[in-house]
Amino acid sequence: MILIEAGERTDKAFDAKLLVATQLAARGHRVVLDDRTRPEKLERYQKYEAASFLADLGTVTLTRVILIGAESVGQETMMGLRGMRLGAEVAVSVVGRFADRQSAIAARAKVAYAIGREPDLVDLATLQGPPLVASAISPLAAAPTPAPPDRLPHLFVVLPQEALEDPQTLPILSAVDNLPDYRLNVILPGKGKEQVKASRHAGLTVFGYSELSPAAFARLADIAAFFGDGVPGERMAAFALDLMRSGRVAIDCTSGGGFLTGGAPVLRGPEEIAALANYVQHTVLVNRGEIGRQARKSPWLTTHAVEALESALGLVAAAGVAPAPAPAPGRVVFVPTNGIGLGHARRCTLIAEAMGDGADPAFAAFPSCVPLVRDRGFDCLPLVQKSPDHPEDHANDLVNYLRLRRVLRAGDRLVFDGGFVFDSIHRTILEHGLDATWIRRGLWQAGQALATALDRERAFARVIVPGEAFAELNTDRSSGAHVRSVGPIVQRLRQPDAASRAARRVALGETLGREVGELVVTMLGGGVAADRTAQMQALAAMLDARPGCLHLIVVWPGAVAPAGLGSWKNTRVVQTQNALALCQLADLVISATGYNSFHELLYHAVPTIFVPQMATFMDDQERRARAASDRGLAETVLAHELLLLEREVRAFLDAGKADRLRSALAVVDLPAPGNDDAAAVILGKEQR
Amino acid sequence: MTVSGRIAYVLDPRFPGGTSSAVAEELRAIAPLCRPAVHAVSSRMFAGRDPAPPLAAAFEALGIDPVWDAGTISADTVILHNPSFLKFQPDFGARILCRHLIVVTHENFLRPGGQEAFDTAGCLGQIDRATLALRKSLAPISAHNRATVAAWGDRFGLPPGWDVLAEDWFNICDLPMTPPTVAPRDRRGRHSRPGFEKFPPPDTLDLCFPRHAEANVILGADLMIAQGAPAHWQVYPFRGLDLARYFGMIDFMVYFTAPTWQESFGRVLAEAIAAGKVAISDPATAAGFGGGVIGARPGEVDGIIRAFVEDPARYTGHVRAAQAALAGFSAAAFRARFTGLVGARIGAAA
Repeated sequence: MILIEAGERTDKAFDAKLLVATQLAARGHRVVLDDRTRPEKLERYQKYEAASFLADLGTVTLTRVILIGAESVGQETMMGLRGMRLGAEVAVSVVGRFADRQSAIAARAKVAYAIGREPDLVDLATLQGPPLVASAISPLAAAPTPAPPDRLPHLFVVLPQEALEDPQTLPILSAVDNLPDYRLNVILPGKGKEQVKASRHAGLTVFGYSELSPAAFARLADIAAFFGDGVPGERMAAFALDLMRSGRVAIDCTSGGGFLTGGAPVLRGPEEIAALANYVQHTVLVNRGEIGRQARKSPWLTTHAVEALESALGLVAAAGVAPAPAPAPGRVVFVPTNGIGLGHARRCTLIAEAMGDGADPAFAAFPSCVPLVRDRGFDCLPLVQKSPDHPEDHANDLVNYLRLRRVLRAGDRLVFDGGFVFDSIHRTILEHGLDATWIRRGLWQAGQALATALDRERAFARVIVPGEAFAELNTDRSSGAHVRSVGPIVQRLRQPDAASRAARRVALGETLGREVGELVVTMLGGGVAADRTAQMQALAAMLDARPGCLHLIVVWPGAVAPAGLGSWKNTRVVQTQNALALCQLADLVISATGYNSFHELLYHAVPTIFVPQMATFMDDQERRARAASDRGLAETVLAHELLLLEREVRAFLDAGKADRLRSALAVVDLPAPGNDDAAAVILGKEQR
Repeated sequence: MTVSGRIAYVLDPRFPGGTSSAVAEELRAIAPLCRPAVHAVSSRMFAGRDPAPPLAAAFEALGIDPVWDAGTISADTVILHNPSFLKFQPDFGARILCRHLIVVTHENFLRPGGQEAFDTAGCLGQIDRATLALRKSLAPISAHNRATVAAWGDRFGLPPGWDVLAEDWFNICDLPMTPPTVAPRDRRGRHSRPGFEKFPPPDTLDLCFPRHAEANVILGADLMIAQGAPAHWQVYPFRGLDLARYFGMIDFMVYFTAPTWQESFGRVLAEAIAAGKVAISDPATAAGFGGGVIGARPGEVDGIIRAFVEDPARYTGHVRAAQAALAGFSAAAFRARFTGLVGARIGAAA
């Protein structure tokens, strides 16, 4: 393991260590950062970046220490080095930009005193010449990144915070964002992103300076234009270096021409943002390939190449780290979020099952979903559930990021099913350049705030919107060629005929040790979104008065049913993943109106009373339920309508309503299920 | 006995530690011989600091009023102490006109292993360019210091026309001698400034100051205090204990430094001998004391101490011999050497 240290223990020095660690790790070196050197306040994005490197040094075997920023070696760092008791087998390198001979001698001596032997010394002033950023701590070496896929070029515009003070900046950028020849991305420091997202230009794709590593930015960008007074800090300098090294285009639009005067092979672009669009259109896009080729030939870039740094440090790049296309086809990994129930995971397993032989999809899912996924025969990497016991609200997501990062690699396909794209998923997609699909059911509630959720849509190559059974419910908040609507994703079981149904009811009765004269199934949810205790108690009481009636309250395995239901003689609480099989046998089902349950009941012609669950963060279940009941295919009873619920149960069971609905459902023309289409879209095999 | 000719001292009087103490002793020692001018140089290295207390006291006691940052320094003999104070600046900033320039090399030019200790070429270059003199000499302060000067000269070359004085410009150790104890115990200690270079690696410290010793007293242990010291060590910060009290707590001074650094003289060891203690150090540092300090490897320290504890007569005999050897560093010895070096007339009118 290589430990990256810095001369000073400052926030800036820690960020510089992160840059080096990320770059060396991408080259195949095994790198760690001392957990004790972590600043008290770390930006949220830095935490994700640092998480994979931070280590308790007592648990790792160090082979090398690289100390950057050695122009100034502080007491704390020396103390840390001394305390490590490094053996002679651990190579120690001191890296800095030394203003003169004395500075280099002093740096070497300080470290030598701390570790008790002589370190190697790498003088970046000699290796690279003057730095792009005067006070840079990291070595700022240029590493190649994999070429982006063949798609519309991505232009990144790096702006200083002050640029937002000009009222014309955002309107100009919004105009550029609508040009058809390239896609605009904006990088802003500090609170710039929040400022843009709070404006009417929220549709712009904006990143914070440290939201992604420089290498991840370089992987995404084809062209980058840098504005401001000078080179905007180490991260952006590192981004520009990787970009140039990758044969793509860096444009120096800084007023001081910082990149150009530093010797970097950049284009001199306009200092005015308003002039950028034309410059990119008529100067850059038409010569993009050649500009990149020329840049790569630059001797300046050669001296700044990461290989030169590796050589000076005596590091041998791990074999196979050079960017190479991933073996095709990549794996498909489904990541369903866990919403109220297990609907996301259920939907994903249905699509995975439709992929057919050879696809070999796998899952990463939260603990509540793992048994369901594994029962369907898929490998499943457990993710960590959010908990109030965690020190931070995103602590679980940090762990999930590490797990996803470890199992996914370039060329894989990631399929996310959920409403909110977690940082872990967003970063993994961007950092690995994954082919990502977002399965996002529609039917948003009116007025739901979706800006944050949809902001990350651009990380996905495509969005699959599973259809609703009824056309008026198919509304989505985004559009474009990347949004693919498919038929309802629904589980299909063979419909039992009358004899089979009767036999299975008898078998069920034998299992439960009682006669099943009448079967009612209630599925009102696990109580997370809404408490349905009163409704279930009311149903249990009502059905207790019906001789021979079996009332099954079905919940997911692990879900908690309200206490007291067991005292009703006709009511049983059942935990099962196979609720649909029971529903097929039922005379009546009383169900919530989640996407999966609704469609399963409809497509299997089960007479149902829907009791919608409504919460601000959920889909519009009432609209969905009423779409069915308005067509005479089900009944809708709201949660507070207990008397109506009682009347409807009687109507279904005693007045022939169940039979009428069953007959109506048998002949209704529902859209073809979209399971196969969704699988084909993910695998890039859809017929358009 | 007096020394003829004008003599000027040049130094940055804000040097902390050994250099200032040594020059202060030196000024007191030569006071009967001559009344030198003292030129203080405000180097970048010590910007913002006050003159070192020992030197300030010597100036006051001797009635010396240093001249700060003179544009020209002229004398028959100019003695510049510790050229390393120039290491953070590009030029000397004054002219030196003299017959003989003597640069006293308080700091080693090379560290153990051969790395440069400071930008020696830069510092000597500044002095060389600033000086018009008939003779320019380097004056090492000890045998080891001399060896590093010679090795540096072999590798990088002294500036043209410079020579190295044949005799050491040693630190004066005119210390009151305390008789050794007749019943030595395994009570060990060390004292130094708290710098990293002054301390050996933790494993070596563990060896030198083991749990089984009756006492392990570390004065100047700011590092250990910050990191957490073992319970069997008594640790005190620099100046956290009066030296007399410290010496009263130990019978053996066990002094090892970082393997990448070495004392150029080792005044702390002389102080220990004068206080009546057996001093143990690495062989190279011990070599400067003519057998007065026992040279050893850290692993040998236990055995050496045990042998002395078991043989108190040997202990007292060794300390007395070491104290006698310290006479070689007395003020009288320095005056004799100074007279020989500075009194010699260099050049004469045609």
